[in-house]
Amino acid sequence: MKVKKSFIITAVLVLPAILIMCRKPEAFNEDEIDPRLSGGISTVFDETSQAFTHHMQGINIRDLHVHGLGDSRFEGTFVTAPAPVNSGLGPVFSNVSCISCHHNDGKGTPSFGTVNSSMLMRISLKDIEDAHGGPVAIPGFGLQFQDLATFGVQPEGKVILNYTDSNITFPDKEIATLRSPQYYFENTYTPLPANFNFSPRMAPSVFGTGLLEAIPEATILSFADENDKDNDGISGRPNYVWNPETERMELGRFGLKANTPTVKVQVASAYQQDMGVTNSLFPQESSHGQPQYDGRNDEPELPDSILNAVAFYVRTLAVPARRNVTDATVKQGERIFTQINCSGCHKPTVYTGVDVTLSVLSNQRIHPYTDLLLHDMGDALADNRPDFLATGKEWRTPPLWGVGLLQKTNGTPFYLHDGRARTLEEAILWHGGEAAGAKQKFTQLSTADRNALIQFLKSL
Amino acid sequence: MKNIFLTVIICLLFSACRKATTTGNNEDFGTLKQTVLNDFVDNVAIPQYQDLSEAALNFNNDITALNTGATEQNLSKAKESWRGLRTVWEQCEGFLFGPVEDDNYDPYMDTWPVDYVQLDSLMASSNPLNISDIQNLSTLSLRGFHPVEYILWGVDGNRTAASITAREKKYMVSLSQDLLNNTTALSNSWITGLGNFGKQVKTAGSGSALYSKKQEVFLAIAQAMADICDEVGSGKMAEPFEAFDSSIVESPFSNNSVIDFKNNIIGLGNVYNGTYSTSGKGITDLVAAKNVSLDNKIKQQITTAINSFDAISVSYELAIFNQRTQIRNTMQALETLQTTLEEELKPFIIQYITD
Repeated sequence: MKVKKSFIITAVLVLPAILIMCRKPEAFNEDEIDPRLSGGISTVFDETSQAFTHHMQGINIRDLHVHGLGDSRFEGTFVTAPAPVNSGLGPVFSNVSCISCHHNDGKGTPSFGTVNSSMLMRISLKDIEDAHGGPVAIPGFGLQFQDLATFGVQPEGKVILNYTDSNITFPDKEIATLRSPQYYFENTYTPLPANFNFSPRMAPSVFGTGLLEAIPEATILSFADENDKDNDGISGRPNYVWNPETERMELGRFGLKANTPTVKVQVASAYQQDMGVTNSLFPQESSHGQPQYDGRNDEPELPDSILNAVAFYVRTLAVPARRNVTDATVKQGERIFTQINCSGCHKPTVYTGVDVTLSVLSNQRIHPYTDLLLHDMGDALADNRPDFLATGKEWRTPPLWGVGLLQKTNGTPFYLHDGRARTLEEAILWHGGEAAGAKQKFTQLSTADRNALIQFLKSL
Repeated sequence: MKNIFLTVIICLLFSACRKATTTGNNEDFGTLKQTVLNDFVDNVAIPQYQDLSEAALNFNNDITALNTGATEQNLSKAKESWRGLRTVWEQCEGFLFGPVEDDNYDPYMDTWPVDYVQLDSLMASSNPLNISDIQNLSTLSLRGFHPVEYILWGVDGNRTAASITAREKKYMVSLSQDLLNNTTALSNSWITGLGNFGKQVKTAGSGSALYSKKQEVFLAIAQAMADICDEVGSGKMAEPFEAFDSSIVESPFSNNSVIDFKNNIIGLGNVYNGTYSTSGKGITDLVAAKNVSLDNKIKQQITTAINSFDAISVSYELAIFNQRTQIRNTMQALETLQTTLEEELKPFIIQYITD
């Protein structure tokens, strides 16, 4: 059989093309990916005090508009109802606007009761849980101790915060000073129960939450190792919490104990508990049933359009890019981060799922440095206040992205759930429980290696 | 003759082909960077904050005079010095970074809106209204420029000196003293104290505790310039404009908003040019040294934005209804400037200021 020459030539040309098309796509090598893109494609390049305040790159004009509306409301100071704008503050509250606590969309200052305080105090009855397994309100106070009130109204009381110093000496004789907080409740308008649970919380950074929300539940659950089958001393388990919007139990992703399922629920509960601004998800004043209640019957004070815009704003705040990623010390620190297993909980790389409404959130390779799971962090950090499945010793792994920019965004940086740590080194030294092993290894590092690890964290 | 003509033409052609030279050598540019930082601190930021506390002192004197002599003349003097104080403050907002932001001076002085309900209950109460009482109030919406604006103008702008009550007088005296205290502390924060922010800026890249590279502080300045465009164009102007709502305008009692907005951008211009009461070297000189057309573009866009406010000939409260084209033009000019600052000035800094 004589085969035409032109046929052979065509086959030779076409076959490899077909074979190439059959080839399965391969993942990029690590060194082919820009390590600065902590938040995937929407990462923003800014290392100034405004680094956390930018919208995600690549959202469309309509989304940008909604983001902008939410931005101005996030900054808006609320005032007493009735008012033409930002109506509904109080009567009791912890602060007057989102931005007052989340300074530059980041963390704030660990203090109570002043206009620039970023701390709040969660409270609940001891040894009892509600129908969904959540904490139970203290009659006359609720689930949060509001230490401020509008003029003429008595706040629930005052929180006093004191610190006691203690020293830790490294094997190389270097000394670090840790400050341990103590809290006292004073001038309560009516007595608190003799025994109750309380948990101080400092406002965390809010950027990147849209990406965290887009991580598939299965991915988070794949990090869990409740019975520590791999024997690395780290368990990690999910919290399941009540979602008042869907009225069912869902995976907790936000809040310092993963006690909140979505960004929208987080925003809505902050409006109601922190500012006293009622909304469709939390339509009852936090002071309902207390003498401070204004009895205005004007619920909800916050229109859904604003609640949605602010939630959208928070979800679409971009993650800032890393700096100095090629620096030799930073790279050494990155290796140590994995070697001493900080990465056991602070997961460096995670992939998001699909969000059909926001392509910038979809299928992103991100570097949040969290597994969004609960871990026992030991007695020194324990708040001893269970929150749904989280025990009194468990906290959710906080994301570390942006942690190196906190000095810029905040003036003075503070770390951990209550801002007790003033340096990254102090924050590491407070780690206990499941993180005791990693902390132990950190203390045994050479001075240069400890510094390299800190430099790595500062590059995030 | 023909040959000479040809020679001239050829010479002209060759000179046209010559690559554009940058002015000065690298060493000059290095010196210039430091001079620009020094002049930003010494010629722009510190003198403006000093003027701010001086304007607050003037205002406080006029408020004291109004307190003791409730005449129409004293009232208009107090209003005039309030506007003077606002002028400097709004210009200082051209560089909203450092202590003003980190130490929350902004909310202590410029919280908005006024809380009418609380203000009424405060006036009706037996609170002594001394400065210490004002400082102990739990919300900042009862402190700063806007409550005192409300007392001086009233809701409808028809305030008479005789109608200011004794308690309102006590309140305004404490409010102006509070403003004086805050502006003085803000001014000092750039000069002395633990932070000495002026020094932190000037020593960027050479010992500054806050800025390990000069690039960082230049980016912070450029970002602050872009942010004020955004705040004015997309915030203060756009919100009442889009909502057709005059009740959410910034300075509603004094009808001072358009002037406030314009002063914000004048402040931005001061930063870019390194010039306030005395002239110095600014970012303009750095840009001009490497990219004349970008410098011209930024200068021209700043001028266009500042001048565009003059087309708004009525108060902003009215303009959102009947001068919408003029407002849209200004917002467009601000957006154009913001885009240039973010997409051209910041990359310029990253490219040329690497230390």
